[in-house]
Amino acid sequence: MSYELNRKLAAKRDPLSTPAPIDPVTASIIRGALETICFEAASHLGRSASSPIINQSNERNAAIIDAHGRLAVGSIGTPHLTFVTQLTVRYGLMFTQDYDWGPGDVFLGNDPDHGGGHLPDYNVYAPVYDDKGELVLVQALQAHQGDTGGKDPGGFTLEATDIFTEGLAIPCLKLVHRGEKRRDVIKLVERNNRFATFAGDLAAMIGGVQHSVRLMQELIRKYGTDLVKAAINHTIDQSEKQFREEVSRWPDGNYEADVFIDHDTLGTKDIKVHVACRVAGDQLTVDLTGTDDRQDLVGVWNTFGNSRGYVMTQLVAMIDPDIAKNEGLFNAVDIIIPEGCIAHPPPNKPAALGSFHPACEITEAVCVALSNVVPERAQPQVYKIGMPNAVIGFDENGMMWMDQGVDARSMDSSAVKGIDGWGSCPSSLGNLLLSEAEDAESRYPIINISREMSLDGGGAGQWRGMPGSLNVKQVLVPTFAMAWMVSARHPMRGMCGGDDASPYSNHFEVGTPNEYKIDLAVKAQLPAKAVIAYQHGGGAGFGPAYLRDPEAVKEDVLDEYVSLQAAREKYGVVLTGSLQDYDLKVDLAATEKLRAQMKAARSA
Amino acid sequence: MGYRVGIDIGGTFTDFALLKGAQVILHKNLSTPQDRSLGVMHGLQKLAEKEGLGLGAFLKQCDAIVHGTTIADNTLIEMNGAVTGLITTEGFRDEVEYRRGYKESIWDVRLTPPKQIAPRRRRLTVPERILFDGSVHKPLDENAVREACRRLKKQNVESVAISLIFSFVNPAHEKRVAQIVAEEMPGVHLSLSHQVLPRSPEFDRSSTTVVNAYVGPRVTSYLENLVNRLKEAGYRNQLMVMQASGGVMTKEYIEGSPIRVLASGPAGGVIGSAHVGAAKGYPNLLCVDMGGTSYDMSMVIKGAAPAVAGWNIHHRNLVGVPMVQVETLGAGGGSICHVKNGELHVGPASAGSEPGPICYGRGGTQPTVTDALLMLGILSDEAEFAGGSFSLSRKGVVEAFAALGAQMGYGAEDAAFDCWRVVNANMIQAVRRTTAGKGVDSKDLVMLAYGGNGPAFAAVHADALGIGKVLVPKASPTFSALGTLVARPSIDEERSYICPVGNPDLNRLKALWQELDERATKYFAEAGFPREQVLAKYQVNMRYRGQNWALSFAMHTGKGVPDYGFVNAGLGDKALAAFNAKHMEEFGHVREGELPEIIGVRLASYVETPTPVVGAGFESARQTAQPSRQRRANLGEGYQSTKVYAGKDLKPGHQVPGPAIIEETFTTIVVYPGWNARVDDAGDYELSRA
Repeated sequence: MSYELNRKLAAKRDPLSTPAPIDPVTASIIRGALETICFEAASHLGRSASSPIINQSNERNAAIIDAHGRLAVGSIGTPHLTFVTQLTVRYGLMFTQDYDWGPGDVFLGNDPDHGGGHLPDYNVYAPVYDDKGELVLVQALQAHQGDTGGKDPGGFTLEATDIFTEGLAIPCLKLVHRGEKRRDVIKLVERNNRFATFAGDLAAMIGGVQHSVRLMQELIRKYGTDLVKAAINHTIDQSEKQFREEVSRWPDGNYEADVFIDHDTLGTKDIKVHVACRVAGDQLTVDLTGTDDRQDLVGVWNTFGNSRGYVMTQLVAMIDPDIAKNEGLFNAVDIIIPEGCIAHPPPNKPAALGSFHPACEITEAVCVALSNVVPERAQPQVYKIGMPNAVIGFDENGMMWMDQGVDARSMDSSAVKGIDGWGSCPSSLGNLLLSEAEDAESRYPIINISREMSLDGGGAGQWRGMPGSLNVKQVLVPTFAMAWMVSARHPMRGMCGGDDASPYSNHFEVGTPNEYKIDLAVKAQLPAKAVIAYQHGGGAGFGPAYLRDPEAVKEDVLDEYVSLQAAREKYGVVLTGSLQDYDLKVDLAATEKLRAQMKAARSA
Repeated sequence: MGYRVGIDIGGTFTDFALLKGAQVILHKNLSTPQDRSLGVMHGLQKLAEKEGLGLGAFLKQCDAIVHGTTIADNTLIEMNGAVTGLITTEGFRDEVEYRRGYKESIWDVRLTPPKQIAPRRRRLTVPERILFDGSVHKPLDENAVREACRRLKKQNVESVAISLIFSFVNPAHEKRVAQIVAEEMPGVHLSLSHQVLPRSPEFDRSSTTVVNAYVGPRVTSYLENLVNRLKEAGYRNQLMVMQASGGVMTKEYIEGSPIRVLASGPAGGVIGSAHVGAAKGYPNLLCVDMGGTSYDMSMVIKGAAPAVAGWNIHHRNLVGVPMVQVETLGAGGGSICHVKNGELHVGPASAGSEPGPICYGRGGTQPTVTDALLMLGILSDEAEFAGGSFSLSRKGVVEAFAALGAQMGYGAEDAAFDCWRVVNANMIQAVRRTTAGKGVDSKDLVMLAYGGNGPAFAAVHADALGIGKVLVPKASPTFSALGTLVARPSIDEERSYICPVGNPDLNRLKALWQELDERATKYFAEAGFPREQVLAKYQVNMRYRGQNWALSFAMHTGKGVPDYGFVNAGLGDKALAAFNAKHMEEFGHVREGELPEIIGVRLASYVETPTPVVGAGFESARQTAQPSRQRRANLGEGYQSTKVYAGKDLKPGHQVPGPAIIEETFTTIVVYPGWNARVDDAGDYELSRA
């Protein structure tokens, strides 16, 4: 539990020792088989979990780690989880003797200070031994849990100054010993969670890794330990090589970016993330030196493992999507995260909200820094949401309910060169299914009034960001609500001359004399019938708006993404005809004239 | 005794299966993309000739013509359906664009969005609101509906989807909107969400309704055209149409919900597989269908291929109606082999049928799986191909693989062999993903292979999956057509009603089943099936609160005039017990201290019709078959002189030890080393591990 531990966890690992030569096709066949085993583990979990966040929204992740703690296969889930998973396992691997690791064991870890992300991301993992008793691989399954047993339901405490406020931190805990469940241990873990469905989820995660271990044992028997190890070495080398080949095509240079969070949860303003991406030949270095390190900040601490993972989440979005996701990616990049800054906190800092911010600002800063290098893939893999409005109440039996996350709708889908922002979220979140009004309203005393995109929302640009949605919700009974707002003064950055996304905003008790705007954070008791309105910022634009094809602007006006006024003022496009009659036409001469003025004003 | 004809229209061929008593006669001719009904009439003419009859006389003797069509799929592929608008509840305009956040690739920020069927300008909202319990929270603003009509008319909208929040609980507003649209926009095609997919949540229902609106007019006019042609030619009975649920129904029924024909082609193959498997004593099957562009996989468990409603993405649109589950991988004979980043890849890009593989000699220049098979000697340029349509040519093939090999550092033959390994690995992983999470061990399954290329690969995949038996029916190249003859006329519909399982309103439940019964009775009667023949399965849909989709199971099954005696005070307990059993079977647990809720009723009704009799057994005297020739081929263990058998020479009782190649008219069966093939009494092949 120290910086030294983090240095140890992040240190580059050697290839697995094996005398077997391997051809590339056999290596890719074995890699494919391992990816499918990950898929099976995730499917098994999805099928048997009891929480909707896992079995319906797909917030889960499967990855295979090798005996040296290297990410061998990252296959399923969200990249934000994939690239942090191996550090928790590495911590466990340091204690194979002390903790008496053996075949049939299953472990659990979630500790932010021992390789983890934030507490809700439970990581259940199981070692795979060959028939001679050699540890070859580890199957890991992660899933975001609805609660962690801390002060506030859901695991997010706005004023938390240490991790213990947020819940139970588990460095490495054996849940199953040689195939036998340790019932006392499992009961302890279950007890530290507010939701009854957690027990089922934990059981499903254990079942999922056990299923996967059986499949991997079969695979190892079929190909032999040495060949499987050779395949993993080969596939990790390949990814490193392919990543470096991409980097070698990037111009050498130092590319820097600053991105700011509006404030921490107590109101300290302008929290800075600084990134320098240095390209020298085929070597990429991502350096976070210069990132905020004020020790009294609250709520904005992102764990070291998470910071590393979020850097990689952005980098893989900016390279060929076919490159296999494994340790080779980390081997290709030097990631420097100074100790003590908000991206590499001292021990015992709270971690829950840090997984939102600054985690996403790290991602965004990497994207901004490299936006001129890889403009065609410069989409930040972020959620700039602060935290979703958590709405919590109690049913007639006194059981707690939480309509958490339903407020997520159209958010943060930025344009890249050549493609407008689309869908609800950036690509890397495309596996998560948003929950729907009819399901939420059947369960909770709420009414979703509106969740449409806002006219002129998002950032204008040669390619346009997807407009954010305005989510208006009414609670029918007195309800507790919690919110933390950011991205109002520092909305998501536009790329290569594109406009920034719109500011986020959040209002409670809308339409009453008590209406108020949440500028910072709030824990509020909402009366029955209170309305809350959450405006998402949408995606940012790419390239100067006055370069957008005027016909595309006309189509946007017809579709009511863009107003006539914004067409003129932001895009410099003059339209004739009537929107009501769908007969708009571009006045080319007037448009050219207006755009020339805009360009001149801009260069002045 | 009358004939029954099954017809399946594919991209290249239109397949026919004629059932005459217990005998099945197969035919295949080219499809006619401009007007597909022409190819149908042409094939019927050929069948009539085979029977020594004129077309009119032949059609008069047809009891049933059953048809599987890709018209709805083609409409979505080509994106040339009706100009479609959507009217929805104020505040919910963009749900179909959000797609619940779903993106097909999480790693590729250059993935482009799907083309929208109803772009934002044609998605209009009206003030109104129904709550989850069916109560009216906000009355419908009828003037707003009329204004929406004005705007849609201005945009020349031909088809209107109406999808309001909680319409499946209380459809009053949706019905009223439909009335107004019908008044304001006479002649427009209407799709109402509470009819198309009466369940939550709103994206799933709206998306399904929008797709229905989009394909509806084309499906309807195509079927009308075909029905008229058949009528003019002398056909006197109903045209039955295959649905994705695996059942068939009349054109009149399909017109009410044309989306039901989407993805019906593959369903026919699966239903045919289930029928053949059952006859041969193999109720649990893994069905693989490999054609020119895709490898389709599905499972038959306990003799059935249940239709599942849920997250069915078709051509990038969510379609929530029940479908026989068929997973597709872009791997077929036309899949292109290429090197990227130093790695060998096969597909998903395909050379299709035009220009097709290099060996087709139609201008193809990129090496494909079919070309690799030719290099390996599994296919030959000596024999006729595709039933004698043409011969394969080696011209350019060796050169293409040599170029591929040069990038990998070896020769042409090694490159072809590695392509074969890679495509096999892709298919094996895809099959594993098909069975994953379904609680099925592939070792317990028998593989049934069909399609032009399926039997050339099947045993390799079976080996990798631990499967010991592979069936290759003689009729495998026209399997989907045969499947349409097996499929039963069926209507499977549901109605929403949410209530706690402990205290259901029995009268309400009964009324909903009655409503569904009345609809089924009407459509079956029009199709010529009196109520006495109708079997009905009365099901409830249940889930725990918080689950997005439900489990369905039967409360009662009856034949003939409905008897609702089962709707009694014990129904709730019975439903709970059935739910717990099913939840345990499907998901491995039940929640302690929590009761599920009923969310609706479902009625699956069907009638039994004559189906082809499938022979089985191995009573015929065993004999060793004689190869027709030998050729140099690599069946996974290096190039060797390999025995080649002509399918037409093989009779029941014949045995073919591997390694060997069997050349059938429309397909090639490979008996890999370590496998044996034998011909059963029906003339079908069964491959077993030696």
